[in-house]
Amino acid sequence: MISLFKCEFMKTRRRYVFMTAWAILAAFLAWIYPRHQSADLLRLGWMENLYELPLVNAIFMPLLSIIVSSRLCDIEHKGYMLKQLAVTEKRGKIYDAKLIYGLAIMMSCVMISWGMTIAFGYHVGYQGGVPIKLYLFYLLFTAVPTISVYLFQYTLSLCFKNQAIPFFVGAMGTFLGTFSMFLPQFPWLRRSLIWGYYGALSFVGLFGWTKENRYQYAHFDVIGIDWLSFIILVFVCVGMYLIGREIFKRKEL
Amino acid sequence: MLRKLLKAERMKLRRSPVWLAFILMPVIPAVLGTANYIYNQGILTKEWISLWTQHTLFTDYFFLPIMLGIYCSYLMRLEHGNNNWNKVFTMPVSRSSVFLAKLITAAIMLLLSMIWICVLFVISGYAAGLTNPPWLTIAKWCIFGTLGGMVTVAIQILISMNIKSFAQPVGIAFLGGLSGLVFLAKNLGHIWPYSLMSYGMNANAPQKIAESGGYGTFVIICAGYIALFTIIGNRIAVRRDIA
Repeated sequence: MISLFKCEFMKTRRRYVFMTAWAILAAFLAWIYPRHQSADLLRLGWMENLYELPLVNAIFMPLLSIIVSSRLCDIEHKGYMLKQLAVTEKRGKIYDAKLIYGLAIMMSCVMISWGMTIAFGYHVGYQGGVPIKLYLFYLLFTAVPTISVYLFQYTLSLCFKNQAIPFFVGAMGTFLGTFSMFLPQFPWLRRSLIWGYYGALSFVGLFGWTKENRYQYAHFDVIGIDWLSFIILVFVCVGMYLIGREIFKRKEL
Repeated sequence: MLRKLLKAERMKLRRSPVWLAFILMPVIPAVLGTANYIYNQGILTKEWISLWTQHTLFTDYFFLPIMLGIYCSYLMRLEHGNNNWNKVFTMPVSRSSVFLAKLITAAIMLLLSMIWICVLFVISGYAAGLTNPPWLTIAKWCIFGTLGGMVTVAIQILISMNIKSFAQPVGIAFLGGLSGLVFLAKNLGHIWPYSLMSYGMNANAPQKIAESGGYGTFVIICAGYIALFTIIGNRIAVRRDIA
């Protein structure tokens, strides 16, 4: 397995995979940080992040997953490398090695964005200390939907030589997932799409916001964690992994 | 010559999945945006304009640039694969026409998408109980959105021609769409190439186009960008050494 990881690393050298991922992450950070200026938002900053960021994650993380998975799989498609790899190594192992490598890139982005969120909070001087328990929940509820989306995209990218297909499916899924967050009237919509779980697992609500006073009398509160959705998503991840691996093992190369 | 190249491009796209995506993609904001509009009519009081904001909210900033990025990448991927550039550039056609043919093909696709978005918008409006659609305004959104989108198409074709990877130009389109949002927020939407599509389609503040010099200025800026990227693309294509 170690040699397969090494092989993945060698294949992605000078391919700017990490750089592309981190460039998108940099855009993510540049987009979300300059907005906390008012005194009200400094007062509410820590909780406001937990309220706002799931929406940003629902746009960025799936698109990042599409790009990273496509980049890693396209290397094999272009040179007809899967056939050669399958001669020397078990297909399941190839699937696992590429998956772990890609997930490592994704998780590095999730961790960096999480760490930067906290660092930025301290830098601008959010009032009070960081609610670390809630932030750990947030990290978990960002990482697991990202893993599920990446698994889906990775399997599509590996199975289709034409990378336009995973891109279109992923973009439409991201679109649906983002929109589902604006439709709390249809909670089933979030739960029926892997892209919707960023919204389904968000656990902070905004109260007291008005058009006139905006955040002056507003506050954020925990509205409850949807553990059932989380458990469903974990099972979906396991199911997608097993199905994806099996599809790849049976695929005609 | 150009007509033959356009025909060749059309043949290459036959039975391609990109058509399906361009049909399905706008249906998502049409259905979900309309649902959002219906459930929030207390806040969204400007009828057709409010509905338009719901349809175009994320489409303009994120998903349409990405779709155009994918489409341009796909057009160029056909040539990047199997050393097809060698075959294309040994054909008895000028290299600049090849670039131009791809640009026109992508622009036609964009125009068809815009028309489809507007058709879905009108249907959604009627479904939401609205009457008397503002036809002229819708036509303006469609025409100027296409014009602004053509700038994005020109850049993306240029990028996809120079980057062999399928994913990276799409990533750039995504970042471009995002940068467009930032420039729009800073009131510089009328000069930034990736903002022009959402600027042309912008129903949130239609007066902005008038403030920034009117539709004439908008057309000149778009035409200038399209000409600039086309010239750069043509020059690169002409000087290109094929490997």
